[in-house]
Amino acid sequence: MEVAAAVDEFEFFLQKQWSDGLPVVTPTEARLQAMLKGTRRDPDELIGNVPPAMEPATVRSVATHALMAGCKPEYLPVVLGGLTLMLRDEFNMNGVQGTMHGVAPLMIVNGPHAQEIGLHGGNGCFGPCFRANATIGRAIRLMMLNLGGGIPGVASATIFATPMRYTACIAENTERRPWETLAVSKGYSGDDNVITCAMVESPRLCFDDVSQEPQRLLNGIADSMVAMGSWNMHARSDMVVAMGPQHASICAEARMSRADVHGRLCELAGRKVRDLKNGGNWRRERALGFPIKVDPDDDDCFIPAIKDPKDLQLIVAGGWGPCTAICHGWSGGSRAVHGRYEV
Amino acid sequence: MCSVHDTIEFEKRGIPATVIITQAFRKAAIFQFGSKGMEGHPYIELPHPISNLKPEEMKELTLRFVDQAVRQITA
Amino acid sequence: MTSDVGFIDPTASGGKARIALAARPMDLAGKTVGLLDNTKEQGTLILETIGNALRERYGVARVVIRSKEHYSKPATAALIDEMAKEAQVAIAAVGG
Repeated sequence: MEVAAAVDEFEFFLQKQWSDGLPVVTPTEARLQAMLKGTRRDPDELIGNVPPAMEPATVRSVATHALMAGCKPEYLPVVLGGLTLMLRDEFNMNGVQGTMHGVAPLMIVNGPHAQEIGLHGGNGCFGPCFRANATIGRAIRLMMLNLGGGIPGVASATIFATPMRYTACIAENTERRPWETLAVSKGYSGDDNVITCAMVESPRLCFDDVSQEPQRLLNGIADSMVAMGSWNMHARSDMVVAMGPQHASICAEARMSRADVHGRLCELAGRKVRDLKNGGNWRRERALGFPIKVDPDDDDCFIPAIKDPKDLQLIVAGGWGPCTAICHGWSGGSRAVHGRYEV
Repeated sequence: MCSVHDTIEFEKRGIPATVIITQAFRKAAIFQFGSKGMEGHPYIELPHPISNLKPEEMKELTLRFVDQAVRQITA
Repeated sequence: MTSDVGFIDPTASGGKARIALAARPMDLAGKTVGLLDNTKEQGTLILETIGNALRERYGVARVVIRSKEHYSKPATAALIDEMAKEAQVAIAAVGG
């Protein structure tokens, strides 16, 4: 491909208002045609319009952004599936794009296709070095910026954003997982290719190399699920808890099922009104707006972090070591979405 | 944000409308009006933040903007 | 979309058909004002204050206040339609 000597293709894209600040793979017609081989779908098929700018995302334009992000063609089905889910009403992409909060759509991918393409859920899964993780999440972000206009200072009022806005896509740990996957727990079969997507902050880490039994361990993890300044305490909000396999095995060896751990975390994670009033986002009107009944005038009233058990996305991910990652959620009326994607 | 969307929906139905926003969302509001075909649509901008204003303060602040709002929805 | 330098530029055009402003009435005397509350903090108080002021100072006959399901979601078409049937002008609060 000949490029006019006067145009530096990298600078051309780096100067775009929608650039994420990193170079892209230059989209040429030849590269686009190669990327489109990653799907059987018609390139002109409309996936949807990306709020708030409402520019259309067709299979072709999704493929273009996937290619710019550095995806291989076999990753394209995940990008298409992820965007489709995120454009569902209940996910509230419009609110997601404009919010002051620093949250990003974290994709958790289950099923055989994720394994085939090398989506990583083991050690280092939230960080660099895994092409599928890095580029699939990045493709989504490039579309949110370019097609949706979710650019800070433009449509986005985000105060800090989050490093997860560069990319946020992981698998679960498939080698060291004592329980069924997130997808199976939601009723899918182990052979289904499923994406779950939740709007969450960057992970905070709960280290515990002391607990040898679940009660103390889950107490500590639950403590990381609450904070005066966390929107989980002041609204209905999703949360992702990625138990490291070492922590998960402590629970499994004590004969706790995945559902048992999920339920216990929902019970434990919370604070009393007297503790929440002293800082952060506490307002009694917010508590009165919960979908569960609480008494904001009773100092001993326990406010749970998880208002609906469906809002806790419990997975097993990460490498071996005494650590669990907890991602707090958003308050803006977004509900986690999940569904099969077509390969 | 969505209040901009709602304002535009009123205008499309022939109902003159305006929206009250806070300063921190000015750029987002301008962008949304523009991207939805109503570039330059007026709005009322309150200083940010307002969430910690006491009721009397909020009322007093609001009253300062009533005339401006009326100008935006009348000829 | 393929530039003359041999690659595709997928930058969104943002070209939207222009929507005209609705015709404004000369004044609000005798009119019904629709106030759309998006339930964000202070929204209700702001709109109630405006509603009272419009009645007292501008001769507005009636104020109709409706609330949305959630501040970060657009109002349903049904809600906007319902308000548009009753009101001649509208104010939405609080964006942001």
